[in-house]
Amino acid sequence: MSSHSHWSEWIYIGVVVALLVWVGAEAWNLERLVEHVPEDAKVIKVTGQQWFWTFEHEDGTKEVGELHVKKGVPYKFEVTSTDVIHSFNIHDYVVLMDAVPGRINTVWFVPFDAGEFDIQCREYCGLIHYNMRGTLYVEDDA
Amino acid sequence: MVLSILIILPSLQYAFAQDEPGEYMDRRVEIWNLFFRMMTVAFTIGAVVSGTLIWLVIRFRESNPKATPTKYEGTGELDG
Repeated sequence: MSSHSHWSEWIYIGVVVALLVWVGAEAWNLERLVEHVPEDAKVIKVTGQQWFWTFEHEDGTKEVGELHVKKGVPYKFEVTSTDVIHSFNIHDYVVLMDAVPGRINTVWFVPFDAGEFDIQCREYCGLIHYNMRGTLYVEDDA
Repeated sequence: MVLSILIILPSLQYAFAQDEPGEYMDRRVEIWNLFFRMMTVAFTIGAVVSGTLIWLVIRFRESNPKATPTKYEGTGELDG
Protein backbone atom coordinates (compact mmCIF):
# COMPACT_ATOMS: atom_id res chain seq x y z
CA MET A 1 0.00 0.00 0.00
CA SER A 2 2.75 2.41 0.91
CA SER A 3 4.54 1.70 -2.35
CA HIS A 4 2.21 3.71 -4.58
CA SER A 5 1.63 7.42 -4.73
CA HIS A 6 -1.50 8.91 -3.15
CA TRP A 7 -1.38 12.37 -4.72
CA SER A 8 -4.37 11.81 -7.01
CA GLU A 9 -6.47 10.60 -4.09
CA TRP A 10 -5.56 13.64 -2.03
CA ILE A 11 -6.52 15.93 -4.91
CA TYR A 12 -9.85 14.10 -5.25
CA ILE A 13 -10.52 14.41 -1.50
CA GLY A 14 -9.42 18.06 -1.56
CA VAL A 15 -11.81 18.97 -4.39
CA VAL A 16 -14.76 17.25 -2.73
CA VAL A 17 -14.02 18.80 0.68
CA ALA A 18 -13.61 22.25 -0.91
CA LEU A 19 -16.97 21.92 -2.66
CA LEU A 20 -18.66 20.81 0.56
CA VAL A 21 -17.12 23.72 2.48
CA TRP A 22 -18.30 26.11 -0.24
CA VAL A 23 -21.83 24.69 -0.12
CA GLY A 24 -21.91 25.00 3.67
CA ALA A 25 -20.54 28.56 3.62
CA GLU A 26 -23.03 29.71 0.96
CA ALA A 27 -25.99 28.22 2.81
CA TRP A 28 -24.84 29.60 6.15
CA ASN A 29 -24.30 33.05 4.66
CA LEU A 30 -27.72 33.19 3.01
CA GLU A 31 -29.38 32.00 6.20
CA ARG A 32 -27.71 34.90 8.00
CA LEU A 33 -28.82 37.43 5.37
CA VAL A 34 -32.38 36.12 5.32
CA GLU A 35 -32.63 36.38 9.11
CA HIS A 36 -31.35 39.96 9.19
CA VAL A 37 -34.61 41.91 9.60
CA PRO A 38 -34.47 45.58 8.44
CA GLU A 39 -34.95 47.98 11.32
CA ASP A 40 -37.79 49.83 9.60
CA ALA A 41 -39.82 46.64 9.00
CA LYS A 42 -43.49 46.89 9.93
CA VAL A 43 -44.70 44.15 12.24
CA ILE A 44 -47.72 42.04 11.32
CA LYS A 45 -48.95 39.46 13.83
CA VAL A 46 -50.05 36.32 12.03
CA THR A 47 -52.22 33.81 13.89
CA GLY A 48 -53.13 30.46 12.48
CA GLN A 49 -56.07 28.45 13.75
CA GLN A 50 -58.26 25.70 12.35
CA TRP A 51 -58.72 26.68 9.59
CA PHE A 52 -58.02 30.31 8.80
CA TRP A 53 -55.41 33.02 9.14
CA THR A 54 -55.80 36.23 11.16
CA PHE A 55 -53.54 39.24 10.61
CA GLU A 56 -53.04 42.15 12.97
CA HIS A 57 -51.28 45.30 11.78
CA GLU A 58 -49.20 47.66 13.94
CA ASP A 59 -52.14 50.10 14.21
CA GLY A 60 -54.37 47.34 15.60
CA THR A 61 -56.46 46.72 12.48
CA LYS A 62 -57.24 43.08 11.94
CA GLU A 63 -57.89 41.12 8.79
CA VAL A 64 -59.14 37.58 8.40
CA GLY A 65 -58.25 35.47 5.40
CA GLU A 66 -56.74 38.39 3.53
CA LEU A 67 -53.79 40.67 4.03
CA HIS A 68 -53.23 44.10 2.50
CA VAL A 69 -49.67 45.40 2.29
CA LYS A 70 -47.82 48.18 0.45
CA LYS A 71 -45.41 47.50 -2.35
CA GLY A 72 -41.73 48.09 -1.49
CA VAL A 73 -42.25 48.18 2.30
CA PRO A 74 -40.47 45.60 4.49
CA TYR A 75 -42.76 43.56 6.73
CA LYS A 76 -41.89 41.30 9.63
CA PHE A 77 -44.38 38.56 10.36
CA GLU A 78 -44.71 37.31 13.93
CA VAL A 79 -46.26 33.93 13.38
CA THR A 80 -48.07 31.88 15.99
CA SER A 81 -50.98 29.49 16.38
CA THR A 82 -53.81 29.03 18.86
CA ASP A 83 -54.41 25.31 18.43
CA VAL A 84 -52.23 22.95 16.38
CA ILE A 85 -49.10 23.48 14.31
CA HIS A 86 -49.69 25.29 11.01
CA SER A 87 -47.24 26.72 8.52
CA PHE A 88 -47.61 30.17 7.02
CA ASN A 89 -46.65 30.25 3.35
CA ILE A 90 -46.67 32.88 0.62
CA HIS A 91 -45.36 30.78 -2.22
CA ASP A 92 -44.65 33.56 -4.71
CA TYR A 93 -42.48 35.42 -2.20
CA VAL A 94 -40.75 32.31 -0.78
CA VAL A 95 -42.10 33.04 2.69
CA LEU A 96 -42.51 29.95 4.85
CA MET A 97 -42.67 29.77 8.64
CA ASP A 98 -44.20 27.32 11.09
CA ALA A 99 -47.01 28.59 13.32
CA VAL A 100 -46.54 26.84 16.65
CA PRO A 101 -48.82 27.26 19.70
CA GLY A 102 -47.09 29.13 22.54
CA ARG A 103 -44.27 30.32 20.33
CA ILE A 104 -43.67 33.32 18.07
CA ASN A 105 -41.62 32.68 14.96
CA THR A 106 -40.52 35.54 12.75
CA VAL A 107 -39.96 35.89 9.03
CA TRP A 108 -39.66 39.04 6.93
CA PHE A 109 -40.09 39.99 3.30
CA VAL A 110 -40.56 42.91 0.95
CA PRO A 111 -43.34 42.71 -1.64
CA PHE A 112 -41.66 43.98 -4.79
CA ASP A 113 -44.55 43.36 -7.18
CA ALA A 114 -48.11 44.60 -6.85
CA GLY A 115 -50.92 42.09 -7.27
CA GLU A 116 -52.73 39.23 -5.58
CA PHE A 117 -50.85 36.27 -4.20
CA ASP A 118 -51.91 33.05 -2.49
CA ILE A 119 -51.41 32.41 1.20
CA GLN A 120 -51.61 28.74 2.16
CA CYS A 121 -51.11 26.52 5.19
CA ARG A 122 -48.23 24.13 4.50
CA GLU A 123 -48.45 21.87 7.55
CA TYR A 124 -51.24 19.33 7.66
CA CYS A 125 -53.52 20.64 10.41
CA GLY A 126 -56.74 18.67 10.14
CA LEU A 127 -59.80 18.16 7.99
CA ILE A 128 -59.94 21.53 6.21
CA HIS A 129 -56.17 22.02 5.93
CA TYR A 130 -56.42 21.96 2.14
CA ASN A 131 -58.63 25.04 2.25
CA MET A 132 -56.79 27.02 4.90
CA ARG A 133 -55.97 29.72 2.41
CA GLY A 134 -55.78 33.47 2.25
CA THR A 135 -54.96 36.19 -0.21
CA LEU A 136 -52.12 38.68 -0.08
CA TYR A 137 -52.97 42.00 -1.74
CA VAL A 138 -49.91 44.05 -2.58
CA GLU A 139 -51.02 47.59 -3.28
CA ASP A 140 -49.09 50.01 -5.39
CA ASP A 141 -48.49 53.17 -3.40
CA ALA A 142 -48.16 55.41 -6.44
CA MET B 1 -9.03 29.35 0.62
CA VAL B 2 -11.13 27.85 3.42
CA LEU B 3 -10.51 30.95 5.52
CA SER B 4 -11.52 33.26 2.70
CA ILE B 5 -14.74 31.34 2.13
CA LEU B 6 -15.69 31.09 5.79
CA ILE B 7 -14.66 34.47 7.10
CA ILE B 8 -13.58 37.10 4.59
CA LEU B 9 -16.28 36.75 1.92
CA PRO B 10 -19.21 36.65 4.38
CA SER B 11 -17.86 39.68 6.25
CA LEU B 12 -17.49 41.60 3.00
CA GLN B 13 -21.01 40.69 2.00
CA TYR B 14 -22.25 41.62 5.44
CA ALA B 15 -20.54 44.98 5.22
CA PHE B 16 -22.24 45.74 1.92
CA ALA B 17 -25.57 44.28 3.00
CA GLN B 18 -26.26 46.92 5.64
CA ASP B 19 -29.60 48.64 5.53
CA GLU B 20 -29.68 51.24 2.84
CA PRO B 21 -32.96 53.09 2.47
CA GLY B 22 -35.04 51.70 -0.33
CA GLU B 23 -32.76 48.72 -0.95
CA TYR B 24 -33.87 45.44 0.51
CA MET B 25 -32.89 41.89 -0.19
CA ASP B 26 -35.27 40.05 -2.50
CA ARG B 27 -35.58 36.67 -0.83
CA ARG B 28 -37.11 35.15 -3.97
CA VAL B 29 -33.90 35.89 -5.90
CA GLU B 30 -31.48 34.95 -3.12
CA ILE B 31 -33.16 31.70 -2.14
CA TRP B 32 -33.75 30.46 -5.68
CA ASN B 33 -30.18 31.43 -6.64
CA LEU B 34 -28.87 29.38 -3.73
CA PHE B 35 -31.05 26.49 -4.83
CA PHE B 36 -29.67 26.57 -8.40
CA ARG B 37 -26.08 26.88 -7.16
CA MET B 38 -26.60 23.89 -4.87
CA MET B 39 -28.09 21.89 -7.74
CA THR B 40 -25.06 22.74 -9.89
CA VAL B 41 -22.67 21.57 -7.17
CA ALA B 42 -24.73 18.43 -6.53
CA PHE B 43 -24.79 17.44 -10.21
CA THR B 44 -21.09 18.25 -10.62
CA ILE B 45 -20.12 16.05 -7.67
CA GLY B 46 -22.50 13.36 -8.94
CA ALA B 47 -20.90 13.47 -12.40
CA VAL B 48 -17.34 13.37 -11.03
CA VAL B 49 -18.02 10.50 -8.63
CA SER B 50 -20.02 8.37 -11.07
CA GLY B 51 -17.55 9.18 -13.89
CA THR B 52 -14.68 7.99 -11.71
CA LEU B 53 -16.51 4.76 -10.87
CA ILE B 54 -17.33 4.10 -14.53
CA TRP B 55 -13.70 4.71 -15.51
CA LEU B 56 -12.55 2.42 -12.67
CA VAL B 57 -14.82 -0.45 -13.73
CA ILE B 58 -13.81 -0.21 -17.41
CA ARG B 59 -10.09 0.30 -16.79
CA PHE B 60 -9.64 -2.47 -14.23
CA ARG B 61 -11.88 -5.14 -15.79
CA GLU B 62 -10.17 -8.50 -16.23
CA SER B 63 -10.57 -8.46 -20.00
CA ASN B 64 -8.75 -5.16 -20.44
CA PRO B 65 -5.60 -5.82 -22.52
CA LYS B 66 -3.76 -3.42 -20.21
CA ALA B 67 -4.73 -5.42 -17.10
CA THR B 68 -1.75 -6.89 -15.25
CA PRO B 69 -1.92 -9.74 -12.73
CA THR B 70 -1.67 -8.66 -9.09
CA LYS B 71 1.12 -9.99 -6.94
CA TYR B 72 -1.36 -12.28 -5.19
CA GLU B 73 -2.44 -14.21 -8.28
CA GLY B 74 -1.04 -17.72 -8.46
CA THR B 75 0.25 -17.64 -4.90
CA GLY B 76 -2.80 -19.36 -3.41
CA GLU B 77 -3.24 -16.50 -0.93
CA LEU B 78 -6.64 -15.61 -2.34
CA ASP B 79 -8.03 -19.15 -2.40
CA GLY B 80 -9.44 -18.88 1.11
